[in-house]
Amino acid sequence: MSVPDPVFRFRFRERLDRFDLDVALESAAPYLGVFGVSGSGKTTLLECIAGLRTGAAGEIAFFEQTWLDTSNGRSASAASRGIGYAPQDHLLFPHLSVQENLVYGKNRPGKTNTSSRVEFEDVVSVLELDALLDRSVVDLSGGEKQRVSLGRALCSNPQLLLLDEPMAALDAGLRRRILTYLVRVRERFAIPMIVVSHNPIELQTLCEEVLVLESGSVVESGRPNAVFTRPGVFAAAKRSGFENVLTGRVANRSGSSSLDPFELEGGGCCIHIPKTDVRIGDVASISIASDDILIGIEEPMGLSARNRIKATIERIEDLESHGIVHARIDDASAVVAVEITQESIESLALTPGKAVYLVFKSSSVSILCSR
Amino acid sequence: MPTIYETIFSTLLWAALSIAVVAIPGVGVAYALARKEFAGKHVLSTLTTLPLVLPPTAVGYLLLRLFADNGWLGKERIGFDLGVLFSWKAVVVACSVMSFPIFVRAARVAFEEVNPRLESVARTLGAGPWRVFVSVTLPLATRGLVAATLLGFARALGEFGATIVLAGNIPGRTQTLSSALFSAQQGGNDDRANQLLIVALLVGFATVYTTERLARKRLNGEGGQS
Repeated sequence: MSVPDPVFRFRFRERLDRFDLDVALESAAPYLGVFGVSGSGKTTLLECIAGLRTGAAGEIAFFEQTWLDTSNGRSASAASRGIGYAPQDHLLFPHLSVQENLVYGKNRPGKTNTSSRVEFEDVVSVLELDALLDRSVVDLSGGEKQRVSLGRALCSNPQLLLLDEPMAALDAGLRRRILTYLVRVRERFAIPMIVVSHNPIELQTLCEEVLVLESGSVVESGRPNAVFTRPGVFAAAKRSGFENVLTGRVANRSGSSSLDPFELEGGGCCIHIPKTDVRIGDVASISIASDDILIGIEEPMGLSARNRIKATIERIEDLESHGIVHARIDDASAVVAVEITQESIESLALTPGKAVYLVFKSSSVSILCSR
Repeated sequence: MPTIYETIFSTLLWAALSIAVVAIPGVGVAYALARKEFAGKHVLSTLTTLPLVLPPTAVGYLLLRLFADNGWLGKERIGFDLGVLFSWKAVVVACSVMSFPIFVRAARVAFEEVNPRLESVARTLGAGPWRVFVSVTLPLATRGLVAATLLGFARALGEFGATIVLAGNIPGRTQTLSSALFSAQQGGNDDRANQLLIVALLVGFATVYTTERLARKRLNGEGGQS
């Protein structure tokens, strides 16, 4: 088996007030997430990649392009890197209309996304910007600004998108909508992206690999679900809203039921979820909190909980008072993290390889987004 | 003796010429002071402010030495006569030098008020330094720059000390509103002095009023407060 070529190669350092940002990482995942509490250096990391910080020393490479190599005195300008940067505070040009903002980087020189050209009309339709085009950006709402900022980055036909907290400062309903837009953008344009967030669910939904930044250093990296349930990360991830994110599609619904059947990716397993407006057959993401799931070693009977799913324990992670049981749902590819006490792990004699039932109420399931 | 209208007209014309001379180098210096780090920045900043604190007659005298026959810009040094001294050109030179500091200070603030992160975003969208300046910095600084222009214009209109040393007070040739008012008052011509005073008040009021209005309505860069 050949090792895939790295998409990102970072080995650099940048001085900050309280600590140094010191990143050494190679990743073959084109959708990379950066998780960390505020002040951990996430935005600085993006600014270094975008070429907006002159102090960064070391190496930054994207596929075969070397953007920074201070040992050889090489530093590509921000304008030549072909990046679409959507900063957290949007930074729309206040003297231009929505349309003028969108096309600002349209005919940029230098490297751009070569595989497929992003067309203005596509961006407008995917992000539903039609009605906003002639408006001034100054009086847009937060969610609208976010979409315009994302659209402006996309219209520059970038080879890499940098998204800084794309859903911060939005209420829960809007976050869900923007997440839906982001998933659509990923599916439609297939442009590699680095997403910075302090919200694990966003990163689980959008990214294939996540790195955790703490005081400027990468302390963990790997697949999102695995990273967020590691002992050093789980507490912070849970405080920030970590839940299990599963992908699947809404199956044929029976008319009168208050629940919808949801078939997980890989087929075979069906979860009952609250009734949604997602169309039958559409791919969607759902989430379940890790402490909303019970584990049974026999099929539980006579319970009100609608979901009783067969799974097999893959591994168990010891936290201080709790344990995280990672169980693979039988007939599906999804691995679910379940948080239970050490006492329960001992009394049920849970060990890797053991067959179990995962039990949860359908009301514990939330629908994140559809595509 | 020229009519009061002729005096007003030539004063407005010379002040306008002065600000036209000042504008481009002024914008350059103000932008450099607002955005760039370079050796000698504080010296440049001090030098541009100097005419503001020196006695205007001292500035006038300095310019007189500069343009005198044996000065650095005199005919003995450069080989021909620029014909500056005691001509309308002297008025424009004196007014330009005296309004330069005011223009630069106001323009510098205008540039500093533009959120530099907007310029960063423009760069990530492929804009080179010139396009960033023309399409982001300049439009967002426009109101401030117009205010700077008006302030510089007003300073040039009222210039007296440096002008009278370099250009004299020759009616019909180098006499400005302020030197005409001085002559009228000294000569006991109260009617003419009063008329000139009213004009000076009106022009001054209109300029400062417009500047204030512009400053209040200044367009703020989005995200500038966060």
